[in-house]
Amino acid sequence: MMNRRVVLAGLAASPALLSAAPVRAGMAAASIEAPVEINFYNYNLATAGLGADATRKMLREFAELNPMIKVNGIGANAAGFIGRVQADLAARRQVDLVQVIFADLDFAVRSLGAKALEDLIPAGEMAANFEGIAPNGLRLGMLEGKTYGLAYTFSTPVLFYNADVFRAAGLDPEAPPRTWFAVKQAALAIKARTGKVGLATGILGPSAYDWLFQGVIRSNGGETISRDRKRMTFAEPASVEAVAMLRDLNDTGAMANLDTVGGMDSMAAGDVGMYLNTSAVQGALVAGAKGKYELRATTMPRFGDKPVRPNNSGSALVILSNDPIRQRAAWELMKFLTSKRGYTIITSEIGYLPLRTDIVNDPAYLGEWVKAHPLVQPNLEQLKVLEPWEAMPGANYRQIVKTMMDSVELSVTGKVDVAATLKAAQDVTQAMLPK
Amino acid sequence: MMISVLIGRVLPRGVLGHGVMLVLSFLSLFPLYWMVVSSLRPANAMFETSLWPSAATWANYRYTLNAIPVAQMLVNTLVVATAVTLVQLCTAVLGAFAFTRWRFRGQGLAYALVALTWLVPLQVVMIPNFLLVADLGLLDSVTALILPHFASALAVLMTTQAMRSFPRELIDAALVDGAGNWRLLWQVIVPNLRGTLASLAILIFISTWNEYFWPLLLSRTPENTMIQIGIQMFMTQEGNQWGPLMAASTMASMPILALYVVLQRQVIQSFMKSGLR
Amino acid sequence: MSGSIRIGRANRLAGALPWLYLLPVVLPLIVWVYEPLGEAAWLSFFEWDMLPDTAKRFVGWANYRNLLALPKLWKAVGNTVIYMLGLLPFSVVIPFAIAIYTQDLPARFRNIYRVLIFVPMIVAPVVAAAVWRWLLDPAHGLVNRLLIGAGFEPVRFLTDPHVAIWTIIFITGWKLIGFATLIAAAANAAINPSLIEAAKLDGAGPWAIIRRVRLPLLSSTAMLLVTMSLLLGAQWSFAYINALTEGGPLGATINIYYLLWDFGFSSGAVGWSASSAVLLFVAFALLAMGLIRLSDRLSFHDD
Repeated sequence: MMNRRVVLAGLAASPALLSAAPVRAGMAAASIEAPVEINFYNYNLATAGLGADATRKMLREFAELNPMIKVNGIGANAAGFIGRVQADLAARRQVDLVQVIFADLDFAVRSLGAKALEDLIPAGEMAANFEGIAPNGLRLGMLEGKTYGLAYTFSTPVLFYNADVFRAAGLDPEAPPRTWFAVKQAALAIKARTGKVGLATGILGPSAYDWLFQGVIRSNGGETISRDRKRMTFAEPASVEAVAMLRDLNDTGAMANLDTVGGMDSMAAGDVGMYLNTSAVQGALVAGAKGKYELRATTMPRFGDKPVRPNNSGSALVILSNDPIRQRAAWELMKFLTSKRGYTIITSEIGYLPLRTDIVNDPAYLGEWVKAHPLVQPNLEQLKVLEPWEAMPGANYRQIVKTMMDSVELSVTGKVDVAATLKAAQDVTQAMLPK
Repeated sequence: MMISVLIGRVLPRGVLGHGVMLVLSFLSLFPLYWMVVSSLRPANAMFETSLWPSAATWANYRYTLNAIPVAQMLVNTLVVATAVTLVQLCTAVLGAFAFTRWRFRGQGLAYALVALTWLVPLQVVMIPNFLLVADLGLLDSVTALILPHFASALAVLMTTQAMRSFPRELIDAALVDGAGNWRLLWQVIVPNLRGTLASLAILIFISTWNEYFWPLLLSRTPENTMIQIGIQMFMTQEGNQWGPLMAASTMASMPILALYVVLQRQVIQSFMKSGLR
Repeated sequence: MSGSIRIGRANRLAGALPWLYLLPVVLPLIVWVYEPLGEAAWLSFFEWDMLPDTAKRFVGWANYRNLLALPKLWKAVGNTVIYMLGLLPFSVVIPFAIAIYTQDLPARFRNIYRVLIFVPMIVAPVVAAAVWRWLLDPAHGLVNRLLIGAGFEPVRFLTDPHVAIWTIIFITGWKLIGFATLIAAAANAAINPSLIEAAKLDGAGPWAIIRRVRLPLLSSTAMLLVTMSLLLGAQWSFAYINALTEGGPLGATINIYYLLWDFGFSSGAVGWSASSAVLLFVAFALLAMGLIRLSDRLSFHDD
C-alpha cells in the first residue's frame, strides 16, 4: 500500500520535479527550490499556555531560517488527536507533519501511511542529523527496524515528593525511597503520622492509557506484548507479580485510589506525600507548591535489585506527506524542531526531555538552565536507560489497551484474584490482535 | 388530606415554600460563586476552602486575555448561537404547523421519524457529517458550525405540543377573516406562542453556546473557534491551568446570564399577556 | 371551549402543502442524521479505517460480537437504568413543584427564584464538573470539611463505588433543573386561567386545584419530560462521567452511552464506532417507541 502511494505521489509531482535536482524515485526532493506550504498537526497548539507559546516560537524561528517553507500549524486536541488526523485524511486534506502520540505510532504507520525516514532521506544526511542522539533515543520512534518518528515532546515517569510532608512524617527528604518496598514503608508512615495520602500514581485511569503501566511491569521483567508482537503477555508471572505489588499498596492503604486529575490536584495542593507520574506535569506541581511546600523529585522506584526500566511518554514527529517536495519541507521542519535549538526550547520552556543529550551540559544550550532547575535531574538520569513505549498493533489497538487497563484497575482496586483477572483479559485481547 | 390541611394551617405555605426555594437557590448559585471565586485565586492557593480568596488577584484574567483571543471567540460563539436559534425556531414553527394544521397521510410516521432523531447522539453522526462538510468545501467556515443544527427534534416537539393546545376561537376568527395559511401561522399563532418560543430560544441558545464536540472537530485555529474550545484549551498534557480556565469560564458565562435575565422578562411578560381571555 | 387547530372536517385534500411546510425540518434531519446513521448501519459490518485508499474488509457480525463481549456491558446497562430512574426527581418532580409554586408568588420573588434556579445551565459542563469535583474532594473539598466539622466521616463522593453514581446523578440533575423548570413553567403558564378561576369559584383549595386542574393539564408536558429524562439521561450524564470518573471507579458510573463511546469512538476504527452507533440507536429507539405509546395513552389535551 505504501509503495503504491509513493509511486502515485511521484507521478503526481513529476511536473514540479522537472526543475529540481534529479532524485531517486520514491525519495523526498533534494532541496526546496520554490515556495511550498505544509500542514503541521500539533496538539500543543490546541492548548493555551507554555506548550502553544513555545511551539509558535519555534515555528517563527523556523520561518525566518526557511523563507520558502510556509508552515500551517493546525491545533487539534490531544484527546482524539489521531482521530482528527484520520478524519482530515479521509476528507482528503493535506497532512504533512504530525505530532503522533507514541501509542498511536503503529496505527500511523500501518493505516495512515507514515513514511520511514530511511525511505525518504539519503543515508548520509540522516546519519549526520542523528549525531548527538543516543541510540536508545532513536529507538523510541522505530518500528520493525525503520525510523518512522523522532521523539519530540516526551518525558519519563518521575516520583515527585513533598519534602515538608516527609519531614512531618519523620522521613528524610534527602534520602527518598528508591524501591517499591521503601515506597510502601514511606507511604504508610506518611498516612499514619500525618493523615495525608502516602502515594498517588498516574498508572490507572483511562486517560493514563498504558504508558506508565508498561514501565512498572517491565521493571519487574514483564512485558505487555511479546517481542514479536504476536502474543499478549501481561498475564505472565512477572507481570502478575508487579500488579500484585500494586494491589498490596492499595489494600494496605499506602496508595490512594485517586483519579488522574484528582491525584495531580491533590499533589499540587500539598495533600499527597509521593506522586508518580510523567515529569511533564512538573510545571503544574511547581505552580501549586510555590510558597506552600518544597517539591522534590527522584527516579521511578525499582523492584528490589532489578534495574528500573522506564519508558517514555509523549509524542514523536512523523511525516505523512506523499509529495516529495512536501516531504523535503516536512523533513526540514522536523530537523529544526529536533535540533539542539529545538530541544533547548522544548526542555526549558515546556518541560519535556531533550533527545540530544549533548546539549544538557553545553552552556550555549541547556547548561545553565539545568543547573538552575534541579528537579529535571531524575528525568535526565532515566533518559539513559529509556525504553520505547510499545504501541499495540492492528485496528483494535485502542480497545486492546482499554481492556488490558480495565483488568489492571480491577486487579489493583477491586477484590479479585489478580492472576485470574489478568488472564481473562489477556485472552480477550489476544483475540483482538491482527490475524 | 391531613398533611395538606396541616401544612396549610400550621405552617404558612409561604414559609415552607420559601425555605425550600432558598435551599434550592443556594445550591444552584453556590458552585457558580465558587467558579468566580476560583478565578481570583492564584495557582498555589487554588484548592483552599475559604469563602473568599486569601490572596485575590486579577492575574488569571490577565493571563487568559493574553493566552486566547477571548473577545473573538465570544463573537464567534454569539454569531453561531444566534443563527442556530433563529433557524431552529423557524424550522420548528413551520414543521409544527404542518403537524397540527392538517391531517395527512404519513403524518404519524413523519412525526415519529423527527422525534427519533432526538435519540441519535452527536458522536454517532459526527465523522460522516465532517466528511460531508469537507466535501461541500465548508470546512473552515462558520456555516459548518450552523448547518447540522438546522432542525432540532426538541424544538419541533415542543412547538407542536404548544400549537396543539392553541385555542380554536382564534383560528376560526382568522379564517373567517379570510386569512391564508401563511398569515394564520405568522400573524395569529406565532405571536401567541411567545412564551414557548422564548423558552425554546433560551434553551437552544444555551445548548449551542455550550456545545463542544462538533466545534472541536472543526476547529483549526483559535481565532475561528468557539468559546468552549477556548476554555478547554487550558486543560493540557502538562496539567490543567485551573485559574485561567475559571476566568475564561466566568467571562463566557456573563453574556449568557445577561441574555437570560433580559429574555426571562420577555418570557414572563408573554406568559402574562397570553393569559388567554 | 378551546379546541385544537386541527379542523374537524376533512382537510385531507391538503395534499402537498403540509409536506412543503415540513420540508425545512425533514430535509436537514435526513441529510445530517439519517443518512450518516444509514451509512453507519452499512459500515458496521466492515473493518475499515476511513481512508479513501484502503479497502473495507467484510467481517459480518464480528463488530457486534466484540461489543456484546465487552466485560462491562451488563454493568453499563444496569447503571443506565439507574441513571434513568435517578434523574426523574430532578427532571420532573422538582421542576414541576418549582413551576407550580412560584407561579403564584409575587412577581419579584418569582422572577428572582426562577433566575437563580436557572443559573446552573449557564455554566459549561466541563467547568461545572471541575467545580463540583473540588467541592466534593475528600481532602480539600468544602463539603467534606463541613461533614467532618459536623462529626461525620468524609465521603469519597467520586471514588467510592457505592456513592459515585449518585454523585454523578446529582450533578447531572443539578444542571438540569433549570432547563426542566423552564419547560414546566411555560406549560404551567399556558393553562387557561379561567379554568383555575372556575375551580376557585367552586371552592377548591390550593392542593385540590393542583390535583384536579393543573396536573391533568400538565400531564402531556410531564410525559414529555419523563420521556426525555429516560431517553436522554444517559447522554446528559456523559459530560460529567467523562470529566469526573471516566466510567470508574471500577465501572460504577459507566453507562451504555459512555461505554460505547469509549470503546467505539476512541479510535477511528469505523467498524467499532458504526456498530456502537447502531446498537445505541436501536436500543433507545425501541425504548422510545414504547414510551411514546405510553405517553399518548396517559396524556390529556385541553380539548
